[in-house]
Amino acid sequence: MSNEEGDLYIGIDLGTSRSAIATSRGQRHVVESYVGWPLDMVARKVIKRDVLIGREALDNRMMLDLHRPLERGLLKEGSEKDQAAVRQLMSHLLDLAGVREARENGSRVRAVVGVPAEALRVNKEHLREALQGLVDGLIIVSEPFAVAYGLETLLHALVIDVGAGTTDFCMMKGHYPTDEDQRTLPNAGDWVDEQLARLLSERKTEVNVSIHTVRRWKEAWSFVGEQSKPLKVTVPVGGKPTEIDITEEMRLACEGLIAPVAETMIDLVAASETEYQEKVRQNIILAGGSSAIRGFAKRLEEELTEYGGGKIKVVDDPVFAGCDGGLALATDAPGADWEKLSS
Amino acid sequence: MRQNDRIKRSLIRELVEENLEAIERRPKGSLRRHRRSRKIRLTWWLLSGIVGMTVGALFFFLVLDTGGRLYRQWLGNGPETTQAADDGSVIDTLGEAVLPAGFTRPGPLEPDVIPLAVQLIAIDAGHGGDEEGTITESGLVEKELTLDIAKRLKRLLESASYSVTMTRTRDEAVQLKERSRRANEDRADLFLSIHVNWIGNRTVRGVETYFLGPTDDPHLRELAALENRDSGYSVADYRRLLDTIYTDAKSVESRRLATAVQRSLLVSLRRTTPEISNRGVKCAPFVVLVATEMPAILAEVSCLSNEHEARLLARPAYRQQIARALFEGIRDYCAPPESADSGGGKGKES
Repeated sequence: MSNEEGDLYIGIDLGTSRSAIATSRGQRHVVESYVGWPLDMVARKVIKRDVLIGREALDNRMMLDLHRPLERGLLKEGSEKDQAAVRQLMSHLLDLAGVREARENGSRVRAVVGVPAEALRVNKEHLREALQGLVDGLIIVSEPFAVAYGLETLLHALVIDVGAGTTDFCMMKGHYPTDEDQRTLPNAGDWVDEQLARLLSERKTEVNVSIHTVRRWKEAWSFVGEQSKPLKVTVPVGGKPTEIDITEEMRLACEGLIAPVAETMIDLVAASETEYQEKVRQNIILAGGSSAIRGFAKRLEEELTEYGGGKIKVVDDPVFAGCDGGLALATDAPGADWEKLSS
Repeated sequence: MRQNDRIKRSLIRELVEENLEAIERRPKGSLRRHRRSRKIRLTWWLLSGIVGMTVGALFFFLVLDTGGRLYRQWLGNGPETTQAADDGSVIDTLGEAVLPAGFTRPGPLEPDVIPLAVQLIAIDAGHGGDEEGTITESGLVEKELTLDIAKRLKRLLESASYSVTMTRTRDEAVQLKERSRRANEDRADLFLSIHVNWIGNRTVRGVETYFLGPTDDPHLRELAALENRDSGYSVADYRRLLDTIYTDAKSVESRRLATAVQRSLLVSLRRTTPEISNRGVKCAPFVVLVATEMPAILAEVSCLSNEHEARLLARPAYRQQIARALFEGIRDYCAPPESADSGGGKGKES
């Protein structure tokens, strides 16, 4: 429709845990949403850079003032550092996707940036300020809406985006979702990490691991329901590598997500028009990094049984589903609208 | 496929509109609105004054000349309009969405362009007397919590120079109808009903705010406008129009108030209790909201069913935090957008 020759369209998923970019020229990149500045002159000398982004920042966190700018799905109120971190993260993604060169070669860059729904509600202006000037046209959108658009599930559907900071729900009714069509829960990936860390500290008192390690375990082995093989990890105990079983703790931490997510899902379905509830129940999309928890979609389907049953589809590519949706929005938006939105 | 394309176009249009509003820092749903500068506010006040004077003059003519002759001569609008004014057909016609010839259908009312000062706030402490509300195993009673929070909120509002009226100030049973009547009689500008939730799933802890939903009759919304003031309405039509304008404004403003209070509750309570869930801003036909004549909301400020929340609610500091969150929500609603963060202050710019 509007994809004019020479213009570059991009979709970005600015997430609490990971951020991803997809461009109309086929570039796709993902980085962990960490930004760190050297703590002091010594750190700067060692790192030899003004700022580190993503995994590199996480790996050097001891020497950095480390920020995950959308912690809990929100840009912290009044935090200039977090605003700067968002900008650094975006710049990094744009550089990875060759946006700087494209702009130098005269291409107009038009971006749709998906953010957690709560950040869109609370930090819209701060986000826009943080991203000012990085692209030639900017649309900010809630992440679950971008996912729904990308999958073309626009009518009688419910998107559940289980991210790191928040779980966002978005009912798609064929019109732009209102506040009533959306919900946000604080129970999401980070919450699972905290539960798992707490359970381990209570039950395996000899083990002392960082939240980053716990997160890594969760990302590798999270599950709900039955687990055929025990989950065993090796950690130093009194300096000695020791194997511990974390199966039960992992199960309990992950299963803690089921009740709040299921309740909100059922609540939203029940709030939709009676004649369409069956269609909505058959058209529930599970997205976001934490949708990868093994057995999670099945358990949510079981929760729907007594309400007439339903079908929950996990997106094929949780990492890129959001930015692919953003890219679809960017290319579909008419050129005239982009002109109005030019920064 | 064609339906999907149509939906996509519509979604993009709304999305772009929302982003343009953010760029121009205009409130949601106000794309066609002017920015709310003092100058424009003054202009609108003048226009509102002119409309008011026109209505007053029409009313004056009609009362003086009961046959409506002077009124019709003054209008000089020919037989069709006169007939309409005589037999009341214009009134019926308006109700059926068929408009007289030469009549311009009004656009939707934009309440923000007629800023009204908020001076008197009615606080309704839910339940009372025999009507105890929910009670926990540990003996916390909803009616006592709501009254305590209401009194704390009253003090905060009064210290910010608002006037406050309360539907009850002690442990007494007050019928819902009576609560609305008291607020209406006092001519309150806003109405806030405070409740504490009880949810079957006792792990849930969240806040939700209700307002009376907008009318689903699109014609009423269309009527609520100002551009048609020279179109030959009868006084009754004008009165009906103004009533409709008011109905629409109440609904829009109630929603805006609910959104501000819900946001404030979440932001404030999550500072100490990050697990608090956003149960949303919702429409509901609560009697107490239906019968009030001013923007009215009902806030479920916590969940007594949740053990942790109940423990927190037992602490005065937490109840004060809730009262402060409600106060800040009201203050944000009342403050003009450009100074919403500046704190304090009284009412809307007038």
